[in-house]
Amino acid sequence: MTQGLSLRLNTLGLLAIVAVLAFALGDQLLNKDLPCPLCILQRVGFVLAGFGLALNLRFSPRPSHYALTLLGALFGGAVSIRQILLHIVPGSGAYGDAFLELHFYTWALIIFVLILFGTACMLLFDRQFDKSAHGAGPLAGLALIVFVLFAALVVGNGLSTFLECGVGLCPDNPVDYELLKRLRSR
Amino acid sequence: MMFLPFLVLAAGLLVVFYGWRRWALGLWAAGLLLLIVPFRVHATSVLNLGF
Repeated sequence: MTQGLSLRLNTLGLLAIVAVLAFALGDQLLNKDLPCPLCILQRVGFVLAGFGLALNLRFSPRPSHYALTLLGALFGGAVSIRQILLHIVPGSGAYGDAFLELHFYTWALIIFVLILFGTACMLLFDRQFDKSAHGAGPLAGLALIVFVLFAALVVGNGLSTFLECGVGLCPDNPVDYELLKRLRSR
Repeated sequence: MMFLPFLVLAAGLLVVFYGWRRWALGLWAAGLLLLIVPFRVHATSVLNLGF
């Protein structure tokens, strides 16, 4: 696999993570479906995984960047497994909306496993790490657009988390934006 | 404090954009470290894991 093809695949991978984060934030804002603490931790898992791909786009692919993606996906996968297990017993209820008959945390686990699989497959191809190749250089074109979208979603998620939880830990079952509620009650 | 990982990682992406790789790796690690307390509180506090 050439470095150019690897960079294009990394761009597509980051675009997929952008789509996941945008879908989650969109659902939160449009359907007023506030994320629980575990949901927020899964979002951070997606950001940690996407960070490795962003490093690939900016500095050319390296095994260490893929390692960050693997570690981020492992973290997010662990959190989503934890949440699935919380609700796995019939009658124990569920949290949040479902999409195509699966809850978001179930989708999250599926996507984290896909990220792990895809990243492991990418690591099979050594030629992308060739130091004599041209290298990634400053971001441009689609890679720049995807990078900026990713950064904007990280900031957006951080802002929404701050409004929902304030400076402390989040409530287990959030019903309102705590910080806004506190400001309104003053 | 759960917004802090997002804040640190956003700063990391800014650093990536400007081409400072080592700082970016450090901020990624800092973002991960900031998750330890929320992960302990929200994901493992009621599990019988022996700690």
